[in-house]
Amino acid sequence: MTNILLSLNEASRTVNSGSNKVTILDDINLQVKEGEFISLMGPSGSGKSTLLNCIGMLDSFTGGGYTFLGEPVHSMKEKNRSKLYKEYIGFVFQAYHLIDELTVWENIETPLLYKNIKSSERKALVADMLDRFNIVGKKDLFPIQLSGGQQQLVGVARALIGKPRLILADEPTGNLNSKQSTEIMELFSQLNKEGVTIIQATHSEKNASYGSRIINLLDGKIVDE
Amino acid sequence: MFKNYLKIAWRNITKNKMFFLINVTGLTIGLSASFVIGLIIYYDATFDNFHPDKEKIYRVVSDLTHPKGGFSSSGVTLALKDAIKENPNFEVLANFFIHQPIKVENPEKNTEFSLPSHVVFADQAYFELFQYTFLARNSENPIVQPNSVVLSENRAKQYFPNESMSEIIGKTLVYNDSINTKVTGIVEKLPGRTDFIFEEFISWPTLLQTSIAEKIKQKNWGNTSSASQLFVKVIPNVNLDNIQKQLDQLEKENQDPESIKYGYTRRFKLQPLNDIHLNRKYGGYNLAARQVNKSLLWSLGFVALFLLLLGCVNFINLNTAQATERAKEIGVRKTFGSSKKQLVAQFLGETFLLVLISAVLSFALIKWLLEVFSDFVPQGLEFEMVASPWVIIGMVFLLIAVTFLSGFYPALVLSKYKPIIVLKNNLNFGDKKTNFRKTLIVFQFTIAQIFIIATLVIGKQINYLLTKEMGFKTDAVVSVYAPISARQFSKLELFANKLKSISDIDEVTVASSPPASFSSNIANITRMVDSMETHKDIYVLHGDASYTNVFDINILAGTRRKNNTIQELVLNETAVKEFGFKSPQDAIGEMLDYNGEPIPIVGVMQDFHQSSLRVGIPPMALIGDWTRSMLQNFKLVSMSIFPDENTGLSNAITKIEKAYNEVYPGTEMRLQFMDETVESFYKREQRTSKLLKWATGLSILISCLGLFGLVMYTTNRRVKEIGIRKVLGATVIQINSLICKDFIKLVGLAFLVATPIAYYGAYKWLQGFAFNTGISWWIFLLSGAAMLILALLVVSARTLQAAKSNPVKSLRTE
Repeated sequence: MTNILLSLNEASRTVNSGSNKVTILDDINLQVKEGEFISLMGPSGSGKSTLLNCIGMLDSFTGGGYTFLGEPVHSMKEKNRSKLYKEYIGFVFQAYHLIDELTVWENIETPLLYKNIKSSERKALVADMLDRFNIVGKKDLFPIQLSGGQQQLVGVARALIGKPRLILADEPTGNLNSKQSTEIMELFSQLNKEGVTIIQATHSEKNASYGSRIINLLDGKIVDE
Repeated sequence: MFKNYLKIAWRNITKNKMFFLINVTGLTIGLSASFVIGLIIYYDATFDNFHPDKEKIYRVVSDLTHPKGGFSSSGVTLALKDAIKENPNFEVLANFFIHQPIKVENPEKNTEFSLPSHVVFADQAYFELFQYTFLARNSENPIVQPNSVVLSENRAKQYFPNESMSEIIGKTLVYNDSINTKVTGIVEKLPGRTDFIFEEFISWPTLLQTSIAEKIKQKNWGNTSSASQLFVKVIPNVNLDNIQKQLDQLEKENQDPESIKYGYTRRFKLQPLNDIHLNRKYGGYNLAARQVNKSLLWSLGFVALFLLLLGCVNFINLNTAQATERAKEIGVRKTFGSSKKQLVAQFLGETFLLVLISAVLSFALIKWLLEVFSDFVPQGLEFEMVASPWVIIGMVFLLIAVTFLSGFYPALVLSKYKPIIVLKNNLNFGDKKTNFRKTLIVFQFTIAQIFIIATLVIGKQINYLLTKEMGFKTDAVVSVYAPISARQFSKLELFANKLKSISDIDEVTVASSPPASFSSNIANITRMVDSMETHKDIYVLHGDASYTNVFDINILAGTRRKNNTIQELVLNETAVKEFGFKSPQDAIGEMLDYNGEPIPIVGVMQDFHQSSLRVGIPPMALIGDWTRSMLQNFKLVSMSIFPDENTGLSNAITKIEKAYNEVYPGTEMRLQFMDETVESFYKREQRTSKLLKWATGLSILISCLGLFGLVMYTTNRRVKEIGIRKVLGATVIQINSLICKDFIKLVGLAFLVATPIAYYGAYKWLQGFAFNTGISWWIFLLSGAAMLILALLVVSARTLQAAKSNPVKSLRTE
C-alpha cells in the first residue's frame, strides 16, 4: 500500500475584508498519496492558488487540520514548518519567479545554498540538472535572455534540485505557448513516473489530462473528483 | 553562499548606479570626517601615556580668586615643596623652574646661541619621575651639583657638532655670560607624544646664580608663579580627598592677612598627568603648538557624528524606498528555504560592501583633508598614524557600527516580506514606512538648516567684531618691537628719533604695548576718600606723551602727560566711574595711591577696547615709565604712517626696516600692524566659521543627494500616474507641483524644528561676547528661504524631467 503524503481534514481559510468575513476555502477534505499527479481545476477565484499555497505552507489554513507525512502542520511553529517545506516541497510558478540578478546556474543553485550543501556537491548536482534538461549551454545567461519556455525549464529545474517529494505547480504553463506547454507537461509526467508527487493548478483540460486525478473547485469547495 | 551574496550585491550596485553614487558619496563624506576627526582626538588623547606609573603622577596647580573673579596658574609657590616634603602620601616630589636665558655659549668653540628654547632648572627627582634614557652621563645623579646641565641629544649635537656623546660630557656651556655649567648628561627624547618638550636641564641649585636668586631664596608663600612647577608621585591606593584637605589646611595656615583683607583666596589642586594636554585652564609647556581643549574636540566630534548620521540616513531612505524592487528576490529566496536571519545577513553584507567601498575612498581622502583642515590638525599628526593598532581597531569598529546603523533597518524591512504577498504581486506600499522615511528627511534637513543658521550668525558676528570701532586708530598704525636682547631705552629713543625723520611717518610713540594687545599688565590702585579705601585692579598701559596722538585717543578732560617719566596718571572713563568720580572733570587733580605713592590724575581719555570684544572694557590707566631705573616697561615703538602716494606702503616699511637695522644690527625686525593684531583676536571665531562652512556645505550636499534619490524613486514609481494625468490634460507645471508639494512640506517642517534649536545655540554662543550683534530675524528668513529654494531646485530637476516624458511611452511600458 502506498503512503499517504498529506491529508486535509475540513480545512478552511477565511480572511477579513473590511467588516466582512470572506471564505476562500471551505471544508476541504483531501488525501494525497505518494506518487499521485493531481490537477486542481476551476474558474478564476475558485481558490486553486490559495489551496496550493496553503498546502505549500506559504500560507496557512485558518481552520481544520493539515497533516504532512504524519506531522500536524497546523500546530507547528513557523521555524519547523519552513524546515519541512525546505526538505520536501518544490515550487513552480506561472510567472517563473527567477531571480533576475542571478544566472541560470546560480538560480538553480539557490535552494541548495539554504540547505547547507557543500560547494563541490552543489556543482555536481547543478551540472546534473542542467544536463538532464539540456540547458548546459545556457548556464551563464540571465533569465531575461531566455524565452518563457526556457525560463520555466529553469524554474522546474530549480524546484527539483532539492529532491522534493512533492512539487506544487501554480499554472506552470499559463505564460507559455502550446508547444512549450506540452514540453513542460511531458516533463511533469516523466517526473511523476520517477516517483515525484505533483499537484498542479490549471485552467487547461489538456494539461489536466496528464494527471492521474482531477479535483474541481468552485467558490472554495471541492465540487467534483 | 558568501560568494553568491557578493555577486548579488555587486549586480545590484551596477544596476542602480545613481543610488550607488548617492550612497557612497554620503557615506564617504561621513567616514572621511570621522576618520580625520577620530585621528585628531586619538592624537590629543594619547599624550604622555607612556610614562611608568603615569596614573600616580600629578602636577600641583593653583586656583586663585579675588572678589572680581579668578584665574588659574599651572605653577605653585616655591614654598609649597618644603611644606609637603614630609607628607607620607607623596613618594616623589619634583620641581622645576622655567627660565628663559638670553643666550648660551660654547666657550671652547666660541659659538653663541641666542634665546635657547625649552630650558628648565630642574632637580634630580625630575628624572626619577619621568624616565629618560641617558645616552651618556657622568654619574647616577647628574643634576644634583650646582653648575651642571643635562642636554637633549639634539641640543648636544647643536652645541657640540661632530663630537661623540661621551666626549661632550664634562664640556662647558656659559649661560647669560655669567653662569658656567658643565654638561653632565645627555638624554634621548621621550619615547612618544609628550608635553615635556624640554631640551636643557640645568641643576636646581644653579638658580641661585641667576637674576632671580632672591626670589628663590625667599620662598615667599604669597607668590604664585607659573614658572615654578611642582610634580608629585603619590603612593599606591592614596586617598586624593585627604590630600586635598591637607593642601587646603596648609593654605589656610599660611595665608597672609593682606590677602584675607582684600578677599583673595588660593587653592592648590592635583592635576592628573593625562589632563595636562587637554586642559587649557592651566596650559602646557609647548607654547608654539596649537592649544587644544576639550570643547573643540567635542564640537569636532559632533560634526563628524552628524555628517556620518546624514550619510546613514541617505542609505536607509534609499534602500527602504527601493525595497519593493527587491521584493521578488526576497519572496523567491524565502520560498526556497532562506530563513529571515539569512536574509538579514545577506542585506547587512551588502551594506558592509558599500561601507567598505566608501571607507577605501575616505582613506584616500585623509591625506588631503589633513591639509585642508590644518588649522585644526595638531602639528605632530602624521598620516602614518593610521597604521597604529588602536586606530585600525577603531576604524574597523566604526565600519561595523556604520554598517549596522544604516543596514539594519532596511534589512529588517526587506526580510519581513511574506513570500506569498510578494509572489502574488500585490505589494501595497504601507504608510508607516513612508512616514519613517519622511521623518528621516526632516531630520537631515533640520541638521542642514541648523548648520546654515549657525554659519550666518557666526559670520555676522565676526564681521561685527572686525568692523566695530575699537575706539582708537587701527589702520595705518604699526608697532616695532625692540629685540629682547637689547631693550635699553637709549636705543629705543634713538630708533624713535630716526623714525621721526622719515617723511611717511606721521607720529611716533615709545610704549609698552599698543592699546589693544594680548599682553596685559594689572596693578592695584587705591583711592582714599577720608578713611574709605577703594581698591581697583587697573589695566596699566605705559606710553610716552604722544601715545594718545599716535592712536587718536580722545582726551575728554585735563591734558595728556607732559613727559614720559613724570608721575602722572591718565585714566579711562570706566576707571573714572569705578573709582566713583562724578564726571571726568571731577577726577582731574585728584590723587590715587599707586604702589604706595600718591599720583595725581591729570587727564581722562575716552574708553577703547583693550582686547577682543569677547570681554568688556576694563578700567585703564595710561602712565609713563617712571620706574625705568629699576624696571623698564617701554619695549616698542608705535607709529602712524601716511605712506607717500607714489611709493606706497611697502616703501615706508622699507624705510622703517632701514632705520631699525641701523639701531639694532644683526637682529630681525618684529613689526605688527594694528589691524592685524585686532584680527588675530578672532582667530578662534574664524576657525569655527571655517569648520562650520564645511559642515554646512557637506550636510546640504548629502541631504540634497538623499532628496534627489527619493524623488527619483518616487517619479519612477508614479510614472504611470504621471502618464495618465498627462493624457487627461495636466500641464507640466501642475504635475511638477503635485510631486514637489510633498517634499517641500518636509523641508518646511525641518525649518520649524531647526529654528528654535538654532536660536538657542546662537543665543548661548553670542552670550560669550560682551559686545555682540544680536540675532536678527532676517538670518532665519534667509537661511530658510535658501534651503527651500535649493530643495525646490533639486526636486524640480527630476520631476520636470518625469513630467515632460511622453505618456504614450510610459503607459505602454507599464
